[in-house]
Amino acid sequence: MSKVIVVTSGKGGVGKTTSSAAISAGLASRGHRTVVIDFDVGLRNLDMIMGCERRVVFDFINVIQGDAKLNQALIRDRRLDNLYVLPTSQTRDKDALTQEGVEKVLNELREEFDYIICDSPAGIERGAQLAMYYADEAVVVTNPEVSSVRDSDRMLGLLSSKTARAERGEEDQIKSHLLLTRFDPKRSGDGEMMSVEDVLEILAIPLLGVIPESPAVLRASNVGVPVILNEKSRAATAYEEAVARLDGEDLPMKIEGEKVPGLMSRLFGRSA
Amino acid sequence: MQTDVASGNIDGVGTTLKPFQFRGRFLTALALRLSTAPDARFYEMLADRLEKTPNFFTDAPVIIDLEQSQAAVTPEALTELVADLRRRELAVFGLQGGDEALRAAAAGLGLISVTGGRDAPLRGALPSSEQKRPQRVFQQERPPMPEAQPAPAPEPEPAPIPQRVAPENKIVTMPVRSGQTVIADKGDLTVVGPVSSGAELFAAGNIHVYGRMRGRAFAGIDGDENARIFCQSLDAELLAIAGLYRTSDSLGADVRHKMVQIYLEDERLIVAPFG
Repeated sequence: MSKVIVVTSGKGGVGKTTSSAAISAGLASRGHRTVVIDFDVGLRNLDMIMGCERRVVFDFINVIQGDAKLNQALIRDRRLDNLYVLPTSQTRDKDALTQEGVEKVLNELREEFDYIICDSPAGIERGAQLAMYYADEAVVVTNPEVSSVRDSDRMLGLLSSKTARAERGEEDQIKSHLLLTRFDPKRSGDGEMMSVEDVLEILAIPLLGVIPESPAVLRASNVGVPVILNEKSRAATAYEEAVARLDGEDLPMKIEGEKVPGLMSRLFGRSA
Repeated sequence: MQTDVASGNIDGVGTTLKPFQFRGRFLTALALRLSTAPDARFYEMLADRLEKTPNFFTDAPVIIDLEQSQAAVTPEALTELVADLRRRELAVFGLQGGDEALRAAAAGLGLISVTGGRDAPLRGALPSSEQKRPQRVFQQERPPMPEAQPAPAPEPEPAPIPQRVAPENKIVTMPVRSGQTVIADKGDLTVVGPVSSGAELFAAGNIHVYGRMRGRAFAGIDGDENARIFCQSLDAELLAIAGLYRTSDSLGADVRHKMVQIYLEDERLIVAPFG
């Protein structure tokens, strides 16, 4: 049974694409056949983060418009042979996405893949709505600051009203998970950033993981390798654990800076 | 070069402001429906009724509805009635029904002839205990067209059968998220879960929130001044009852995050913590 998971946030720059890349690489390295789709038409980024931008020939829009076959557009990852990328078009805009086209592509992908990760654009317009419309689960990426939390809350509202599952009825709702990124335990402790508890209190959804702010994330982006596959870092470990939870594992949550800051910083202080 | 979006000019030089615009407009007015010609008893009861809620009727736009009584009312009686109402500071502006002579008299008094419109529940007025309800709400949906409608049916409307309508309360058991709006337009609204900042709750009756209340709540949207808002933990952006509101700024630290009720007292919104 394949799962369509949308990675969304509302606000831009919080780490959707980084998280999409890390989650899809993590799921693939756990042995699942995984594809990650870039829904941010016109602002192609995912293929760069995944390090396959030089191999893009056909894209998502070509497939939707019938100019290319799905297999022609899918790019196999060089590091993991069960990971594929469906890049988007740099020259079109979001109006090129159609609901029927997205549904057709997703149905075709469901035949072949265990996990289909949809990397949503920022905002609440067409691209974001179509990225979430056919999702079974959602990963809501949030930074610990008020505007990001409010936008995530708005997305959760849309997820529970403007999606195929919501329109079908009550029982079969989208399962939403919170992924808190760019978390700085020190600044949270000083009260400069919201605490994990504050964010959870507002959003009221299960926590998938807390990714610490880390220079390793930027370094990974620059070399085009998903964080999880690059150097060993606190962020990579946090993503690995989040992916394990997404995959159904019941891991205890370790949050830096919350409750036992001394121990945590000693444990993780050396890496990254 | 600047683009003037408002007026559609793209030259950006010497932009012109449109001197006028035609806009559709709905207007809520009172209709004074006469069942007989006005006599001394009529004026006595009218004065009595208006005194009960003086503020409600001051400067209220009023039309006179003669559809049931045009045969009994003379142009002179109409003139006297309009003068009486205007003395009482009611803004009489229209006549509904009436024969040619009455309409001519009305035109002489500066009244327009209106057709159409329908009754609506009256906001803000005391429930009338009298048998005869002298007023109703009138909605003018388009500019009046003379002779646009055939003469009204001569037989009087059957007396309305009193109906007991159960309130339609609404319960929401999911979080109300930023940007969402929940409306209970015929009863109370109960939310079991948090209400986020940027979410809006509307209810004709009371609003209950069992969870952190960070959004906006509008109780008594049809003018029910007895409606209340109950919050398990108050952190609202805005609270309103029957149109009177308070924003987050004016809520003191002593009520924030407390279990409170909000109600109207002497046209003031009171936020009272429990216990």
